[in-house]
Amino acid sequence: MNLPPMILDLTVASADRRPVHLWLPLFLLWPLALALGVLALALTIVADGVSLVLGRRYHHYTVLLVRSFEALCETRGMVIRFSNEKTAVDMTVQ
Amino acid sequence: MSADRSRILDLLAGGKITAEEAERLLDALDARKGAAAEPSGSAIKGDPEPLIAALPKYLYVKVLAANGDNVDVKIPIVLVRSGLKLTSLIPPLAMDKINDTMSEHGMSVDFNNFKPEDIDELIGGLRDMEVNVDAKNGDTVRVYCA
Repeated sequence: MNLPPMILDLTVASADRRPVHLWLPLFLLWPLALALGVLALALTIVADGVSLVLGRRYHHYTVLLVRSFEALCETRGMVIRFSNEKTAVDMTVQ
Repeated sequence: MSADRSRILDLLAGGKITAEEAERLLDALDARKGAAAEPSGSAIKGDPEPLIAALPKYLYVKVLAANGDNVDVKIPIVLVRSGLKLTSLIPPLAMDKINDTMSEHGMSVDFNNFKPEDIDELIGGLRDMEVNVDAKNGDTVRVYCA
Protein backbone atom coordinates (compact mmCIF):
# COMPACT_ATOMS: atom_id res chain seq x y z
CA MET A 1 0.00 0.00 0.00
CA ASN A 2 1.19 3.50 -0.84
CA LEU A 3 1.32 6.42 1.54
CA PRO A 4 -1.61 8.84 1.23
CA PRO A 5 -1.22 11.52 -1.44
CA MET A 6 1.22 14.21 -0.34
CA ILE A 7 1.08 16.90 -2.98
CA LEU A 8 -1.44 18.02 -5.54
CA ASP A 9 0.46 19.53 -8.42
CA LEU A 10 -1.83 21.97 -10.21
CA THR A 11 -0.98 23.98 -13.31
CA VAL A 12 -3.41 26.41 -14.88
CA ALA A 13 -2.41 28.09 -18.11
CA SER A 14 -4.47 30.45 -20.18
CA ALA A 15 -3.80 32.29 -23.41
CA ASP A 16 -4.06 35.79 -21.91
CA ARG A 17 -2.34 35.20 -18.53
CA ARG A 18 0.88 33.79 -17.16
CA PRO A 19 0.66 30.10 -16.21
CA VAL A 20 0.08 29.38 -12.53
CA HIS A 21 1.86 26.44 -11.00
CA LEU A 22 0.77 25.34 -7.54
CA TRP A 23 1.97 22.56 -5.28
CA LEU A 24 -0.81 22.07 -2.80
CA PRO A 25 0.62 20.34 0.27
CA LEU A 26 -1.98 17.69 1.02
CA PHE A 27 0.23 16.29 3.75
CA LEU A 28 -0.75 19.28 5.89
CA LEU A 29 -4.24 17.78 6.02
CA TRP A 30 -2.92 14.49 7.37
CA PRO A 31 -3.21 15.37 11.10
CA LEU A 32 -6.83 16.42 10.61
CA ALA A 33 -7.50 13.30 8.51
CA LEU A 34 -5.85 11.16 11.19
CA ALA A 35 -8.08 12.59 13.92
CA LEU A 36 -11.20 12.06 11.80
CA GLY A 37 -9.99 8.60 10.79
CA VAL A 38 -9.48 7.49 14.40
CA LEU A 39 -12.94 8.79 15.30
CA ALA A 40 -14.50 7.04 12.29
CA LEU A 41 -12.61 3.85 13.13
CA ALA A 42 -13.98 3.85 16.67
CA LEU A 43 -17.51 4.42 15.35
CA THR A 44 -17.23 1.63 12.75
CA ILE A 45 -15.89 -0.84 15.32
CA VAL A 46 -18.88 -0.07 17.56
CA ALA A 47 -21.26 -0.31 14.57
CA ASP A 48 -19.78 -3.66 13.53
CA GLY A 49 -20.01 -4.95 17.10
CA VAL A 50 -23.66 -3.89 17.39
CA SER A 51 -24.47 -5.36 13.96
CA LEU A 52 -22.81 -8.63 14.95
CA VAL A 53 -24.70 -8.80 18.27
CA LEU A 54 -28.00 -8.04 16.51
CA GLY A 55 -27.24 -10.81 14.04
CA ARG A 56 -27.18 -8.61 10.96
CA ARG A 57 -25.54 -10.12 7.90
CA TYR A 58 -23.59 -6.98 7.06
CA HIS A 59 -20.96 -6.02 9.64
CA HIS A 60 -18.03 -4.84 7.55
CA TYR A 61 -18.00 -1.09 8.19
CA THR A 62 -14.47 -1.21 9.63
CA VAL A 63 -13.12 -3.13 6.64
CA LEU A 64 -14.94 -0.71 4.35
CA LEU A 65 -13.24 2.23 6.08
CA VAL A 66 -9.79 0.62 5.86
CA ARG A 67 -10.27 -0.28 2.20
CA SER A 68 -11.49 3.25 1.45
CA PHE A 69 -8.29 4.58 2.99
CA GLU A 70 -6.30 2.15 0.83
CA ALA A 71 -8.15 3.37 -2.26
CA LEU A 72 -7.34 6.96 -1.29
CA CYS A 73 -3.66 6.02 -1.03
CA GLU A 74 -3.75 4.46 -4.50
CA THR A 75 -4.75 7.79 -6.04
CA ARG A 76 -1.07 8.73 -6.13
CA GLY A 77 0.04 8.95 -9.72
CA MET A 78 -3.36 9.99 -11.04
CA VAL A 79 -3.21 12.70 -13.69
CA ILE A 80 -6.12 14.75 -15.00
CA ARG A 81 -5.58 17.15 -17.89
CA PHE A 82 -8.11 19.42 -19.43
CA SER A 83 -7.48 21.79 -22.26
CA ASN A 84 -9.33 23.88 -24.77
CA GLU A 85 -8.37 26.75 -27.03
CA LYS A 86 -8.06 29.23 -24.16
CA THR A 87 -7.19 27.26 -21.02
CA ALA A 88 -5.17 24.23 -19.99
CA VAL A 89 -5.43 22.65 -16.54
CA ASP A 90 -3.08 19.93 -15.41
CA MET A 91 -3.61 18.16 -12.08
CA THR A 92 -1.29 15.46 -10.74
CA VAL A 93 -1.65 13.66 -7.43
CA GLN A 94 1.75 12.87 -5.97
CA MET B 1 -16.19 -35.59 -8.60
CA SER B 2 -16.53 -32.30 -10.43
CA ALA B 3 -19.68 -31.39 -12.35
CA ASP B 4 -17.75 -31.29 -15.66
CA ARG B 5 -16.28 -34.76 -15.12
CA SER B 6 -19.67 -36.12 -14.15
CA ARG B 7 -21.21 -34.58 -17.29
CA ILE B 8 -18.60 -36.16 -19.54
CA LEU B 9 -19.19 -39.57 -17.96
CA ASP B 10 -22.95 -39.12 -18.36
CA LEU B 11 -22.44 -38.35 -22.05
CA LEU B 12 -20.31 -41.50 -22.36
CA ALA B 13 -22.88 -43.60 -20.49
CA GLY B 14 -25.64 -42.22 -22.68
CA GLY B 15 -23.71 -43.20 -25.81
CA LYS B 16 -23.52 -39.61 -27.01
CA ILE B 17 -19.71 -39.67 -27.17
CA THR B 18 -17.22 -42.47 -27.69
CA ALA B 19 -14.71 -43.66 -25.06
CA GLU B 20 -11.90 -41.96 -26.99
CA GLU B 21 -13.74 -38.66 -27.06
CA ALA B 22 -14.47 -38.97 -23.35
CA GLU B 23 -10.80 -39.62 -22.65
CA ARG B 24 -9.79 -36.57 -24.65
CA LEU B 25 -12.33 -34.40 -22.85
CA LEU B 26 -11.16 -35.66 -19.45
CA ASP B 27 -7.53 -35.00 -20.40
CA ALA B 28 -8.45 -31.47 -21.49
CA LEU B 29 -10.33 -30.95 -18.22
CA ASP B 30 -7.30 -32.12 -16.20
CA ALA B 31 -4.99 -29.85 -18.21
CA ARG B 32 -7.29 -26.89 -17.61
CA LYS B 33 -7.40 -27.56 -13.87
CA GLY B 34 -3.61 -27.91 -13.78
CA ALA B 35 -3.18 -24.59 -15.60
CA ALA B 36 -5.63 -22.88 -13.24
CA ALA B 37 -3.84 -24.22 -10.17
CA GLU B 38 -0.38 -23.26 -11.41
CA PRO B 39 -0.40 -19.50 -10.68
CA SER B 40 -1.32 -19.95 -7.02
CA GLY B 41 1.74 -22.08 -6.34
CA SER B 42 5.38 -21.12 -6.45
CA ALA B 43 5.80 -22.56 -9.93
CA ILE B 44 7.16 -19.32 -11.44
CA LYS B 45 10.75 -19.95 -12.33
CA GLY B 46 13.34 -17.33 -13.09
CA ASP B 47 13.09 -13.58 -12.71
CA PRO B 48 9.43 -12.42 -12.41
CA GLU B 49 10.34 -8.76 -13.09
CA PRO B 50 9.68 -8.88 -16.88
CA LEU B 51 6.24 -10.40 -16.19
CA ILE B 52 5.44 -7.70 -13.64
CA ALA B 53 6.72 -4.99 -15.98
CA ALA B 54 4.47 -6.29 -18.76
CA LEU B 55 1.35 -5.70 -16.66
CA PRO B 56 -0.49 -2.45 -17.35
CA LYS B 57 0.14 0.29 -14.81
CA TYR B 58 -2.35 2.92 -15.85
CA LEU B 59 -5.80 3.19 -17.38
CA TYR B 60 -5.94 6.06 -19.85
CA VAL B 61 -9.09 7.89 -20.87
CA LYS B 62 -8.65 10.44 -23.66
CA VAL B 63 -11.51 12.56 -24.92
CA LEU B 64 -11.02 14.85 -27.89
CA ALA B 65 -14.11 16.94 -28.49
CA ALA B 66 -14.82 18.51 -31.85
CA ASN B 67 -15.23 21.91 -30.18
CA GLY B 68 -11.61 21.81 -28.98
CA ASP B 69 -12.13 20.59 -25.41
CA ASN B 70 -9.70 17.82 -24.56
CA VAL B 71 -9.71 15.67 -21.44
CA ASP B 72 -6.91 13.31 -20.63
CA VAL B 73 -7.13 11.15 -17.51
CA LYS B 74 -4.50 8.71 -16.28
CA ILE B 75 -5.71 6.40 -13.50
CA PRO B 76 -3.39 3.95 -11.70
CA ILE B 77 -4.60 0.38 -12.20
CA VAL B 78 -4.12 -0.24 -8.47
CA LEU B 79 -6.78 2.41 -7.86
CA VAL B 80 -9.15 0.61 -10.23
CA ARG B 81 -8.44 -2.63 -8.39
CA SER B 82 -9.01 -1.01 -4.97
CA GLY B 83 -12.22 0.57 -6.22
CA LEU B 84 -13.55 -2.72 -7.52
CA LYS B 85 -12.64 -4.46 -4.27
CA LEU B 86 -14.56 -1.79 -2.38
CA THR B 87 -17.73 -2.75 -4.23
CA SER B 88 -17.86 -6.07 -2.39
CA LEU B 89 -17.93 -4.19 0.94
CA ILE B 90 -20.60 -1.64 0.19
CA PRO B 91 -23.65 -2.14 2.46
CA PRO B 92 -26.45 -4.06 0.66
CA LEU B 93 -28.93 -1.19 0.90
CA ALA B 94 -26.51 1.25 -0.74
CA MET B 95 -25.53 -1.38 -3.31
CA ASP B 96 -29.15 -1.92 -4.31
CA LYS B 97 -29.52 1.82 -4.86
CA ILE B 98 -26.33 1.90 -6.95
CA ASN B 99 -27.52 -1.03 -9.06
CA ASP B 100 -30.95 0.57 -9.54
CA THR B 101 -29.44 3.89 -10.57
CA MET B 102 -27.03 2.21 -12.98
CA SER B 103 -29.80 0.14 -14.56
CA GLU B 104 -31.86 3.33 -14.96
CA HIS B 105 -28.96 4.69 -17.01
CA GLY B 106 -28.76 1.56 -19.14
CA MET B 107 -25.87 -0.14 -17.36
CA SER B 108 -27.09 -3.43 -15.97
CA VAL B 109 -24.03 -4.36 -13.94
CA ASP B 110 -24.81 -6.17 -10.71
CA PHE B 111 -21.93 -5.43 -8.36
CA ASN B 112 -23.31 -7.94 -5.86
CA ASN B 113 -21.94 -10.66 -8.13
CA PHE B 114 -18.39 -9.28 -8.12
CA LYS B 115 -15.95 -11.71 -6.53
CA PRO B 116 -12.22 -11.13 -5.84
CA GLU B 117 -11.23 -13.67 -8.52
CA ASP B 118 -13.46 -11.86 -11.04
CA ILE B 119 -11.68 -8.60 -10.22
CA ASP B 120 -8.26 -10.14 -10.85
CA GLU B 121 -9.52 -11.57 -14.13
CA LEU B 122 -11.02 -8.22 -15.09
CA ILE B 123 -7.78 -6.38 -14.32
CA GLY B 124 -5.81 -8.98 -16.30
CA GLY B 125 -8.20 -8.55 -19.21
CA LEU B 126 -7.68 -4.79 -19.25
CA ARG B 127 -4.26 -5.38 -20.80
CA ASP B 128 -5.87 -6.30 -24.09
CA MET B 129 -8.71 -3.83 -23.86
CA GLU B 130 -8.99 -0.79 -26.06
CA VAL B 131 -12.13 1.24 -26.60
CA ASN B 132 -12.28 3.70 -29.49
CA VAL B 133 -15.37 5.79 -30.02
CA ASP B 134 -15.66 8.10 -33.01
CA ALA B 135 -18.85 10.12 -32.80
CA LYS B 136 -20.61 11.64 -35.78
CA ASN B 137 -19.95 15.15 -34.51
CA GLY B 138 -16.20 14.50 -34.49
CA ASP B 139 -15.77 13.69 -30.80
CA THR B 140 -13.42 10.82 -30.12
CA VAL B 141 -12.95 8.79 -26.95
CA ARG B 142 -10.12 6.35 -26.34
CA VAL B 143 -9.85 4.09 -23.32
CA TYR B 144 -6.85 1.80 -22.98
CA CYS B 145 -4.29 0.46 -20.54
CA ALA B 146 -0.53 0.73 -20.75
